[in-house]
Formats: sequence, C-alpha cells, structure tokens
Amino acid sequence: MSASYFFLLSDPNVQYVALGAMLLTGSSALMGTFALLSKKSLVGDAIAHAVLPGVCLGFILAGTKEPLWILAGAFLTGALSVYLIDFIVHNSHIKEDTAIGLVLSVMFGAGIVLLTAIQKTGNAAQSGLDQYLFGRAAAINRQDLLVFGTTSVLIMALVIVFFRSFTLLAFDRHFAHALGFNVKFIQFIQTTLIVLAVVIGIQAVGVVLMAAILITPAAAARYWCNSVKTMLWLSSAFGMISGLCGALISYAAPAMPTGPWIVVVASVIAFVSLLVAPEKGMLSRSLRQRRLQQTIAQENLLKTLYKLGEKNEDFLHERTAQEIMRNLKSARPQKLLRQLLKQGYVERNNNHWKLTEAGYLRAQRIVKIHRLWELYLTTYMNIAPDHVHDDAETIEHLLTPELEKELERQLGYPSTDPHQSQIPYRKT
Amino acid sequence: MDYAIEIHDLTVAFDRKPVLWNIDAHLPAGKLIGILGPNGAGKSTLIKTIMGLIPAGSGYVKIFGQPLKEVRKRVSYVPQRETIDWDFPVSVMDVALMGRYAHTGMFGKLRRADRDIALDALRKVGMEAFANRQIGRLSGGQQQRTFLARALAQRADLYLMDEPFAGVDAATEKAVITLLREMTTQGKTVLVVHHNLQSARQYFDHLLLLNTRLVACGPAPEVFTPDNLRDTYGGNLTLLTDVANLMHQEQHPVRENKLQQE
Ligand SMILES: Nc1ncnc2c1ncn2[C@@H]1O[C@H](COP(=O)(O)OP(=O)(O)O)[C@@H](O)[C@H]1O
Ligand SMILES: [Mg+2]
Repeated sequence: MSASYFFLLSDPNVQYVALGAMLLTGSSALMGTFALLSKKSLVGDAIAHAVLPGVCLGFILAGTKEPLWILAGAFLTGALSVYLIDFIVHNSHIKEDTAIGLVLSVMFGAGIVLLTAIQKTGNAAQSGLDQYLFGRAAAINRQDLLVFGTTSVLIMALVIVFFRSFTLLAFDRHFAHALGFNVKFIQFIQTTLIVLAVVIGIQAVGVVLMAAILITPAAAARYWCNSVKTMLWLSSAFGMISGLCGALISYAAPAMPTGPWIVVVASVIAFVSLLVAPEKGMLSRSLRQRRLQQTIAQENLLKTLYKLGEKNEDFLHERTAQEIMRNLKSARPQKLLRQLLKQGYVERNNNHWKLTEAGYLRAQRIVKIHRLWELYLTTYMNIAPDHVHDDAETIEHLLTPELEKELERQLGYPSTDPHQSQIPYRKT
Repeated sequence: MDYAIEIHDLTVAFDRKPVLWNIDAHLPAGKLIGILGPNGAGKSTLIKTIMGLIPAGSGYVKIFGQPLKEVRKRVSYVPQRETIDWDFPVSVMDVALMGRYAHTGMFGKLRRADRDIALDALRKVGMEAFANRQIGRLSGGQQQRTFLARALAQRADLYLMDEPFAGVDAATEKAVITLLREMTTQGKTVLVVHHNLQSARQYFDHLLLLNTRLVACGPAPEVFTPDNLRDTYGGNLTLLTDVANLMHQEQHPVRENKLQQE
C-alpha cells in the first residue's frame, strides 16, 4: 500500500489535492483549538451547516460554480449564523444551546431547499453542487490551491498576532476586559477566522462533517499537552495528517467522498489519544490505578508485620508466611512478600520473613498516619471512634509528607489515638 | 481624605431586575476594605460594575477621582474562583504573566523584566515551586494564591478581590491577609469580598455592608454593630424583592429617564 501511495504522490494533480487538503485541515484545526477552549464547539457546527444556503445563493447569483462567489456566499451566511445565535441569546429567554440548534437546523433546512430547487432547474452547470454536502477533495485544482494557501497563511498569521488575546479571551474573558483589551474586537476577529476556516474547508470536507474537522484534532491534542501553544502545534499536525490521508484515500478510490475519510482518520487519532496519552489517557489512568492498589496492598502487609511486632515489642522479629497470612486479608501474600523483598523492605531467611530497617520506618509512618487521622476525625469532625477506622485505612496510604506534618501540628503531637493505641513517631 | 473609589447613586439591574439599589459610598485609599453580605447580596455585581464589566443602570463610579478607563492599569481584579475553568491548559507561571498584560497590552512583547516581576509575585505568595504546574493540579489554596500572584504582578494601586478566601486552608488565609496588610502599608488599596463574619472584624480597616442596598459603610469598629449585621443578614427584604420581581415581569426601566433611550 505504501508503494502505491508513494506513486500517487508523484502525480501533480494528487499533489494539489494533498496539499490543499492539508492546508484546509491544518488551518481549521488552529481555529478549532480556540473554539474548543472557548467552549464554542457547537457554534462551529452551526456555522458549518449555515454555510450551505450561502453556497447556493452564491451559485444562483453567479450562474456557475464560480469559487469566489460561492465562498463569499458561504462566508456571509456562516457569519450571519453566529450573529443570529448571539441575537437570540441576548434578546430572548432562549438558552445558548437551544439557539444554536435552532439556527443550525433552520439554516441547513434553507440550504437543502435551495439546493433541491437548483437541481430541479436542470441547469447543466449545477452538477456537482451537492458535493458541498460531503466534500470532494479530488476536485481541488491549482486555482483553489491559491485561495486555500492565501487563507491558511492569513489564519496562521492572525493566530500568531492574536495568540495572547484569543487565549486570554477563552480563559478569563472578564480579566481581559478588565485589562482594557478590546474584547468585542478580539471576538470579532476570532469569529471571522473560524467562519473563514469553515468556509474554505467545506469544498474538501462538506458542510455536514466540517465541525468534526474543526474540533476533533483539537480534542485529540488536548490529551497530550498542558499548554495552548503545544496544543495549537499538535492540533494542526493532527489536522494535516487527517487531511493528507483522507485526500489520498478518496483520490485512490474516486467513489469515496473525502469528508468522511478525513473524519475517520481524525477520529482514529482522537481515539488513540484517548487511550494512550500519558497522564490523561485511559491506559495510563488505569495503570496508575493498578500501581496504587499494589502499593496499598504492600503497605498493608508492612503494617501487619508492624502490628505483630507491637504485640511482643520486637518489630524486627522473624515470622513465617503462615503467621503473616493469618493476620492479613490478601489474596496473594506470597507475591506481595516477594515484591517487598525486591524493594528492600523485608528480608527472607528460609521460610521466615522480617522487616528491614527501611520497612520498619515505612510501616511506622503508615500506622502513625492511620492513628492520627482517626484522632483528627473524632476531635475535629465529631465522628464516633468506632466509625473512623475505614476512613483512616484509605487516608494512611494517601497523605503527602506536607499534609502529614500539618496533621501532626494541628493535633499537637498526641501520644494515643481514640482507641488508646500508641501513636508511633520517628525518633530523631 | 483621598478616596480610592467613589460610588455615586449606583443602580444595577439584570434583565431589568435591580440587584443593586442606589449605592452611594466612598472608600478611602490605602486601606484594607471588606465587602460583607449574604449570598446573592450583589457583592460580585458591585465589584464587576466598579471594574466596568457590567454596565451601570444609573449612577457612576470614579476611581482615584477619574473614570475607570483613565486608570485601568492601576486597577487589578481577582475573579471569584467558580468562574475559572481549572481544566484550561495554562500553567501557574502563565497565569502570573497575564498580570503583565496590563502593561504590554494586546500585542506588546513580554520582556525578561516582566518574567522577573511575575516570578517575584509567585515567590511572594509561595508558589514559585509550582510555576510550571497546570492550574487544575493545585489545591484550592494554591489556586487562589496563583490568582493573587497575577494581581500582584500587575503592580496596581487598587486590588478588587472576589472571595479570595473561599476554599482556602487556614494557613493560606493567614499568609494572604498578612500580605494584603503589607500592601496597604505601602499605600495600596485592597477591596475584598468576604463571607466570614467572625474574621471580618479583625481583618479589615473599613467595611461595606451590602444587601441589595447599602446597609453601612465606614471604619470597621463603627460599622460592625449588631444592628447593622441584622440589617445585612437577617430579615429578608421582602418588599424590595417583590418590587424587583415586578419590575422584571413588567420589563420596567430602572430609571424613568431611561425610557426614551430604550
Ligand atoms: N448574569 C446574571 N444574570 C442575571 N442575574 C444575575 C447575573 N449575575 C448575578 N445575578 C443575580 O444578581 C444577584 C446578585 O448576585 P451576586 O452579585 O453574584 O451576589 P453575591 O456575589 O453577593 O453572592 C443574584 O440574585 C443573582 O442571581
Ligand atoms: Mg459572589
């Protein structure tokens, strides 16, 4: 497959298509990032659908599929939808999501009516107008490329110039306003650029799926980073990859519309991100969860050894695995013991196990936190002493050293817990 | 006496329903000033109106004797924490740097000196070690201190803070109030929306008690009286609420002379 795609790329027509699709998806992903961060994803969808009547009007006025007329018409109705939504929200009691749904369906409905009417006229020039529904990148020619290129460069340049303003507007609009930033102007530029990105995108992707192209790469990028700048880079890279793959697939199989393929590729990227991204991804989360559970089980075993030691006041006493098992609720104590041995918290002497110095200190800390927390709950929260144990069982594994210190300080280094057990402190 | 803020006969309405009636108050410069009042009293609305974020229905506000837009750079605002999107991909340092935008504007370059100032502000609130942390991964107290650092980095003369102690641990609250005190000794004016009556008495030099209308405004020992507190917190102002609801239903203008304009 890679060989045939490589072959495809040497064809200049394919180069136009691939480059065009990448410019479109890359620049719309930039604006999609700000749409997502401003929680305006749905507005992107409304714009995309509202572009259709504009496409038809442009065609009716020009009489042919003249790209500039069509783009101008699309831009006008796309922008109109944003102001309509704003107008409805400010002048009625209709909520924003309802207003968006309303404008979206009315505008899209009008577009479909116009499209059907045009098709009924039998005008030969109209054939292919319905491609604006799902997009056909294969039709991108040299002239289109010039338009896309210019628009993409314009969007990129303005994103650089307005980076600070767009970011602050999305993050803390009131603060931007309070600083004296011209919030209305920034909003106007941002909306214009989003509409522009949608309008040039529709030829390749179509109005139905344009919102997905706008938002999906940004949503995928969000999983990988914690900075707006990185998010912009990643999102446009994801956008371009989807654009390139989608265009090539639809070129190789001409019956395939481009839009759906770009969306499929973008969705795969988003899905993979959701799964494997570090920190925020599902795999990494469940891995962290598992590691935490393992730590808890290990610490419980250490605690058991410590408590057994408390009884005969010999914390470093050797004990058989059987004795440990009798005092510990655990499915696999042998495995835990082996793990702790590797970590250096216990030592093994044939069938006998005992805490090392490090193991003793760790166990002591856990027991201390457990008893301090029980005391904290009974004194500060007025919870009965027989109800505090379970809560302390979880907290003991969780507390950071800072919180541990704060707890000791607030309670004043008490010597016994609510059940009269000694609270052990580390000797310094 | 120098006034940091003069509020003249201010009325503010949402959708024609007044939430602040005829507020008239003068707040002295160089003082730590508390705004007290129950939930929904209009405390946030008052601050936002002072900052020009909400248009006044009638009346006006002057800051350091001038209209707000002449002195914007000298005024800093810390929003209520509920209004912040804590998932937003910005770091503690990014937030502190935003304070410098007051001086660079929308397009000006952030200089090394601006970074130094932002870092210095973080140091003052003890958040230097967390400079690169995403703001969602901080405790409540740390989050509030981050926004305080943003205000400090602005190097303003007047600070308006909406509930800076909400969701904050006792240690942070103490550290912050000490810091705010220090700022007032340097001549800065600090206005704080506060919800805890017990600590209000010791924290503030000056108090403004608010419940839709102004109950009292003056030096803390004079204003902090049982009568005033009862007026602020006790007994709902049923009549006032009824009238406000009526105005909302009838879409009645806030002021008669506004009728022609609308
Ligand atoms: N954007 C808004 N639209 C309509 N009503 C609002 C808006 N913001 C606040 N209010 C109303 O104004 C009143 C005062 O709110 P607020 O100033 O937030 O009170 P506080 O900060 O004292 O708790 C409340 O009754 C609230 O419901
Ligand atoms: Mg409030």
